[in-house]
Amino acid sequence: MSVIAAPTPAVPSLARRGVLSWITTTDHKRIGILYMTTAIGFFFVAGMMAMLMRAQLAQPNQSIITAHQYAQLFTLHGTVMIFFFVVPFALGLANFLIPLQIGAPDMAFPRLNAFTYWIFLIGALTVMSGAAVNGGAADTGWFAYAPLSGIKISSGLGQDLWIIGLLMASISSILTSINFLTTVFIYRAPGMTMWRIPIFTWEMVATSLLVLMAFPSLAADLSMLLIDRHLGGHFFDPAAGGSPVLYQHLFWFFGHPEVYIMILPYFGVVTEVICTFSRKPVFGYTGMVLSAFAIAGLSMGVWAHHMFTTGAVSDPFFAAVSLLIAVPTGIKFFNWIGTMWRGSITFQTPMLFAIGFLLNFLDGGITGVMVASPPIDFHAKDSYFLVSHFHYVIGGGSLFAIFAAMFFWFPKVFGVKLNEVWGKVCFVCEFVGFNLTFFPMYFLGVMGMPRRVYTYPNLPGWGLLNSLATLGAAIMAVGVILFIVNVIASVKRHTPVPDDPWGGFTLEWATSSPPPPNNFDWLPPIRSERPVFDLHHPELAKTGR
Amino acid sequence: MHLDWTVFTYAGLAVFAIVGGLIVFPLLVWRRRGDALPPQFRRNVPIEIVTTVIPLIMVVLLFILSYRVESAVEHLAPVPSVVVNVVGFRWSWQFSYPGTDVLVAGTPQRGPEMVIPLNETTRINLTSVDVNHRFWVPAFLFKRDAIAGMNNAFDWHPERLGSFPGRCAEFCGLEHAFMTFTVRVVSPADFKRWLLEQRSRSTAYRKTPQ
Repeated sequence: MSVIAAPTPAVPSLARRGVLSWITTTDHKRIGILYMTTAIGFFFVAGMMAMLMRAQLAQPNQSIITAHQYAQLFTLHGTVMIFFFVVPFALGLANFLIPLQIGAPDMAFPRLNAFTYWIFLIGALTVMSGAAVNGGAADTGWFAYAPLSGIKISSGLGQDLWIIGLLMASISSILTSINFLTTVFIYRAPGMTMWRIPIFTWEMVATSLLVLMAFPSLAADLSMLLIDRHLGGHFFDPAAGGSPVLYQHLFWFFGHPEVYIMILPYFGVVTEVICTFSRKPVFGYTGMVLSAFAIAGLSMGVWAHHMFTTGAVSDPFFAAVSLLIAVPTGIKFFNWIGTMWRGSITFQTPMLFAIGFLLNFLDGGITGVMVASPPIDFHAKDSYFLVSHFHYVIGGGSLFAIFAAMFFWFPKVFGVKLNEVWGKVCFVCEFVGFNLTFFPMYFLGVMGMPRRVYTYPNLPGWGLLNSLATLGAAIMAVGVILFIVNVIASVKRHTPVPDDPWGGFTLEWATSSPPPPNNFDWLPPIRSERPVFDLHHPELAKTGR
Repeated sequence: MHLDWTVFTYAGLAVFAIVGGLIVFPLLVWRRRGDALPPQFRRNVPIEIVTTVIPLIMVVLLFILSYRVESAVEHLAPVPSVVVNVVGFRWSWQFSYPGTDVLVAGTPQRGPEMVIPLNETTRINLTSVDVNHRFWVPAFLFKRDAIAGMNNAFDWHPERLGSFPGRCAEFCGLEHAFMTFTVRVVSPADFKRWLLEQRSRSTAYRKTPQ
């Protein structure tokens, strides 16, 4: 590249209104908003699917929905939550925040940025459209193991739409990651050295690298499945020398890094929130950054812990690497604790959700260490123990961080603060409801309940524990409804907020709320990873590093 | 395997208590009281080293335990006393005892029963004829995949009499929920008797004109 010019200033986009201005926008803030609102929309849809499943499982031997409907529901619930909610919300948040946090006017490739959003949306709608075709949506689970997903058994169009939709989502994520990396590497403001970029942006750098390594494997796997289904391929057909285990290798080579793609951005979110509400700099900045890359690196070498029971992989190797991930994750926990240590802590809604994240994720992390041990996995695998474990990571972890992010950055994005009282009520509903839903599932799993069954026999304790889980899910749903009402009411009331309502540290709090088209009319001097704090406390400003 | 579950569970509870306590403690003690800024420290290298090394030691110890337990669990006896071939299909299981005519196949409505002797080694050879299944007996804390084109072998050495329910633990289609079976552990003498009964039954079946 010969010239590194600032991106062409987009047409002042936030001033323009109307649907067309949103469709044609290349402003990273608008694209971020599109990503996040779309992702939240999909969260509501997939949440309703979960409610239907919990209703069906509330009591033994119920038949509110059929086996086929149940299979479509858990397939779409998993697919939508993972590919169309947790990941794109992070991409949207990063779209909005990265240029602001590094003092850039926009992303490096604004048009590519718009393209990635629209191809994600089309991919998501393609997957969902399976519900409207003959034979219904894909019904083979979110990892669609061959040969179950092969043409012989799953001949429906729904499975093809699922494959094609996810291929589009893969391309979208890969291109977005290239955009993020380019932006962070070359569009930083003067003074914003790599060792001064905020932790959230660092976590997105690690996430983007993971996307670039992991998603091509998914794209390859899905393409091979499509070739097997329609072009006479035999990649996964044992009768013709293919291997069903190959599908699993390629899938989990993507699928485990995907778990970290879903959590690293949210490590960044809770770091920013905890710093702000403890009024302290992050404890162990270097450790935070290095641990993110350690987690990303290790996560590329653990995929076969999803395959301990296949008898086709070296269990001890994958167990060892999986257990090792506990070390950098532990560093993060101790750094969060160190950040709160001797702080000046307040309990606004974002902080409550961040604390909920810490406790839930600790729980999910510990059971993650358990299932990393093959002898435990031999019992826990694909039982409700595992269902509970990964929901503690993605639901209790990522989802809580998403709520923290929404309450924290809502004033910056829309210039309106969400109601604090109702926010706290929402937190209580989510925290109580979440733990009531998923804690009983650990016991159900140990007692022998497998996942993905649409009904279960009336064995001692099973009915009671499942009823508790359904009750918890209902409480979570109430919390989500309160959140929606809170957003509508707060936007309607439209009480103006200052640019920096929380006393934030990073550059996005230096500009107006919402930020002007090219983000900054002026920039404070950048001499540490928290320039806005330095601006307000010149007597404490750290000079250089 | 019980040992692995016990140690990991107690270690997990201890870590949850300690780290959870360390998370909650600052929230109770250092709430905001006024506008004065708290101390703005950024690092404490000795503490950071300690909090890296302690988890590292823990996972190394847990790995050693896990490795030893798994080696014992996966150990295959040179000469098992009984062999059972298990085939998973949509949506039930077929058990056969090589060297005999005994063959038991179930349906989604009625899962098959596998009979094995107490305190003796039973080798299970596991495969599938269609999609992936997973053969799980919760009471034995054990499951293994049934994959077409692959044979998965493992040994059971039951030390308790009784009937133990088993299930498929890999989603394999609509009736996955009903892909159940039972493992009945009987005394070696009862096992021999059962085998003879089954044989005469299958011989009688074969003598019936087609």
